[in-house]
Amino acid sequence: MKRSLIILIATLATASLLAACGGGSSSSQTSDKQTAKGPITIWYSNNPNEVKWGKQVVATWNAAHPNEKVTAQEIPAGSSSEEVIGAAITAGNTADLIYNTSPVGVPQFQKQGGLVDLSTFPDGTKYIESRTGPAAAQYASADGDYYQLPWKSNPVMVFYNKAIMRKAGIDPNNPPLATYDEFLATARTIVKSKAAKYAIYPSPSSEFYQSWFDFYPLYAAESGGKQLVENGASTFADKDGTTVAELWRTIYAEKLAGNEPYTGDAFLDGTAGMALAGPWAIASYGKMDWGVAPVPTSAGMTPKETYTFADSKNIGMYSSCKNQGTAWAFLKFSTSPKEDGALLQTTGQMPLRVDLTKAYPAYFAKNPAYSMFAEQASRTVEVPNVSNPVEVWQTFRDAWTGAVIFGKGDITSALKDAAAAIDKLVSQK
Amino acid sequence: MSDLQSTPRWRRIVSMTLLTLGALVFLFPFYYMVVGALQTKRNPSLSGAIPWPSNLTLNNFLDINHAINLGRSLLNSGIFTGVVVICTIFFGVLAGYALATLHFRGRGLLFAVVLLLQAVPFQLLMVPLYVMLVRNFRMGDTYVGMILPFAINSVAVLIFRQFFLQVPQEMFDAARIDGAGEFRILRSIAVPLVRPAILTAALVTFIGPWNEFLWPFLITKKQSMQPLAVAVANYTQTGAGFHANPMGSILAGSTVLAIPAVVLFIIFQRQFAETHSSTGVKG
Amino acid sequence: MPAETAHRRAPGSRRTVAATPAPGGQRRSRLEFALGRHPAGLLLAAPYALFVAAVFVYPIGLGVWMSFHDSFFTAPGVSVPQPFVGLDNYKAVLANPAIRASFVHVAEFLVINVPLTLVFSLLLATALNSVVHWRGFMRVSYYVPYVTASVATITVWMFMFNSSGIVNQILGPLAPDPAWLVNRFWAMPSIALYVTWKQLGFFILLFLAALQNVPKELHEAAAMDGASRWQGYRAVTLPAVRPATTLVVLLAIITGANLFTEPYLLTGGGGPNGASTTPVFLLYQQGIQQGKPAIASAIGVLLVIGVLIITYASRKLTERE
Repeated sequence: MKRSLIILIATLATASLLAACGGGSSSSQTSDKQTAKGPITIWYSNNPNEVKWGKQVVATWNAAHPNEKVTAQEIPAGSSSEEVIGAAITAGNTADLIYNTSPVGVPQFQKQGGLVDLSTFPDGTKYIESRTGPAAAQYASADGDYYQLPWKSNPVMVFYNKAIMRKAGIDPNNPPLATYDEFLATARTIVKSKAAKYAIYPSPSSEFYQSWFDFYPLYAAESGGKQLVENGASTFADKDGTTVAELWRTIYAEKLAGNEPYTGDAFLDGTAGMALAGPWAIASYGKMDWGVAPVPTSAGMTPKETYTFADSKNIGMYSSCKNQGTAWAFLKFSTSPKEDGALLQTTGQMPLRVDLTKAYPAYFAKNPAYSMFAEQASRTVEVPNVSNPVEVWQTFRDAWTGAVIFGKGDITSALKDAAAAIDKLVSQK
Repeated sequence: MSDLQSTPRWRRIVSMTLLTLGALVFLFPFYYMVVGALQTKRNPSLSGAIPWPSNLTLNNFLDINHAINLGRSLLNSGIFTGVVVICTIFFGVLAGYALATLHFRGRGLLFAVVLLLQAVPFQLLMVPLYVMLVRNFRMGDTYVGMILPFAINSVAVLIFRQFFLQVPQEMFDAARIDGAGEFRILRSIAVPLVRPAILTAALVTFIGPWNEFLWPFLITKKQSMQPLAVAVANYTQTGAGFHANPMGSILAGSTVLAIPAVVLFIIFQRQFAETHSSTGVKG
Repeated sequence: MPAETAHRRAPGSRRTVAATPAPGGQRRSRLEFALGRHPAGLLLAAPYALFVAAVFVYPIGLGVWMSFHDSFFTAPGVSVPQPFVGLDNYKAVLANPAIRASFVHVAEFLVINVPLTLVFSLLLATALNSVVHWRGFMRVSYYVPYVTASVATITVWMFMFNSSGIVNQILGPLAPDPAWLVNRFWAMPSIALYVTWKQLGFFILLFLAALQNVPKELHEAAAMDGASRWQGYRAVTLPAVRPATTLVVLLAIITGANLFTEPYLLTGGGGPNGASTTPVFLLYQQGIQQGKPAIASAIGVLLVIGVLIITYASRKLTERE
């Protein structure tokens, strides 16, 4: 047995040496690729309305370009699309264009060599900046180039169920939600009157991205539009961050929000009276009579000054793409004023375009509820484009669940510790 | 068993009652799953444990079938599991026989490796395997890629080895003296002897791939290639929000996933139990 | 499992040696020396050996290699320098309080799960062994959780153990707050309870097999000597199931150490506040979610070493008289 063990260790050692030699074929990127034309594949999100939009765009394109057929598919489901895309990059089997590229994943994908630098197309930077305007700058990578096309945002706002407000004896058309005091009072009334079991129910689970739907929108508003990390340093361990965290801690401590994962949508089935969500969610609310308000701030800013989290989904071109000429052409085609209009019409999500309300006046006249989101879309904050983004958010989330959701320890020091850890992560390459 | 005669009647009744209670506790979550799958409206209260006729529906099954195409996922699960079971039985019997009765160079090493593997978490292998199969061999979204890491179940190899060790070696040696080759011995003596073990190994092997979620989840990007366990898990995490009774449809998916394994076990349980009693896995 | 081997192997090989007709002389042919007495064995075991080499040994090797390098997964055709960094990854793992905590959680899990599993599977196997009526029903009831997919049963558990779930309704004011799966104190015990319930059927099966191999005569002899029921059990049954006990403990430890699905699905990603993370869950989080395969591999290697040490110790412990 002893001899076997020695042989075993020797075998493993050999295997690790062999493993070291494997892999690593190289193919240099040629600019021929950028003009190459031919069939391409795309992935889009599994949101039913986006699928509808995607099918329509692809059909229109394919009818006009029989030799450059686009094949579309829903992005493979997973606990997060970053995970799916990251794994697919390693394997080299991504789609050519992915219409569900979250900005949080971009630094990682870029580091993996998985993304095509869109700024290398002759009209790349110009197209992106003229379509999105100055807001595009948030999406540029550290080297100043665009590895993603800013596509659409889902500015997060406070949805409320009018029936529940009515039942709680609150004015359903204008519930007091502007300041933290008002927000807390409304929340308490909802729960105390038993109009709903909880006032609001953001997911309390530990996935790295959950803070985008509780902390981050309120922090964006409170801080007047700061990102989590700016100029290589965390911003949130300050008075604004603490104020936001204190608010949520009170909400959880008074059981105005649930602290365990909920199956389904608590707002949709009436378990919670309010929700923090973007316009993508409207389609699922169906017949519910809902209203929408800007996220609260401690002092109650006017809606015109209030920032929120953008929750954008962008388009990335992946380095496995061979026919980059077609891909770039289709990218522009699918983000043209006409198709952006169709996207707005079908999904209610906001194309990242300058002067959105002016570009589609008919739509916003007909759908006044959406014009609030369009208004908001011009004041949004995106996740920072930094190294180790997923780990950064995971670090934040872990601190948040402990100090805020389960009220353990002191908020200020929890935020400070998280900020120190995040500063370290951001400084790594 | 000999206890029977000496055990007083009251004692047997007590033990029987406790066993029955235990069995009910064990079965309850399963029962609750089926009831939940049939409810029109989610009912978390105590009375929700009883299937009230007014609250029953098959819509949850239609719902989940609409969302993930149950038939196709079941087929994928079937192919995945079927091939794994067949490979395991075929190659596992060969390897088990060799490990138990033949002396060849490297036997000790192979056996040591097999034992060590039991302690290695699959997640450690997962990333390298993924790169190897998907990137180097382009096996993403293929059945081969899905099956390969599970193709031969090491536990089954150990079970076979165990069975062959319990067969008196004289039988094989006698055949060898008569000039029979190893393949003939295997076919005409060894395999018939361990037929009960094959069923045991098949059932034990079946459970693994049928219920496996992480690996097929990684390797399949196309929904049409996903086995049921993956489809249900994904639905649980992402798609359920859009449905009328999300919990109900998730439980419906879980029920469809659970039933084939349970039915197979019920059908074969008698044989299964007896296998163990006659030749079975002895510590 | 190594214990089982040692136990079974000795008589097996002795038998073989005794039965093999003495060869003509001491000389062995060169071929036999190179390939062993039964070269056919190589052929029979080859497919399996190849499988093991390709699917286990090579990836483990690669994993070990990665744990000593600054490895990173790039798109095909992109090369990034991956320098040798010695023990840096291991140092990073050991310096990370979250990872250290995950090892503590697994220890906590094992302390609850292993004794529970051992006691209940032995008790239930003994009881099931003496059951006359409804044998089939009884056994199937205990096996059902084992054969059902975790993905399926976890949903039901979440449903049962949430704050307004059926368990808390029965407990009424005794129910913990926050509820089980989001309670820092109860999260890991809840997982341990779930896994015990889920895996017990398999261990009952192992004990049943061992119990059925206890010769009746031994019990009768013990009874004739006037031994009480408990004395008989201790003198006859327990020694007979000792090898099975060793196996059950080993397998329970190994399953416990590789805990992943439960923190991933049952407690929503190792929650609450990382109170139910496990090394394998963090391996997944670092390796797949955060793109740090080097750190992930180091966690994996440390975990395997830990498991080997614990199984070795437990074997010494359960085998001791």
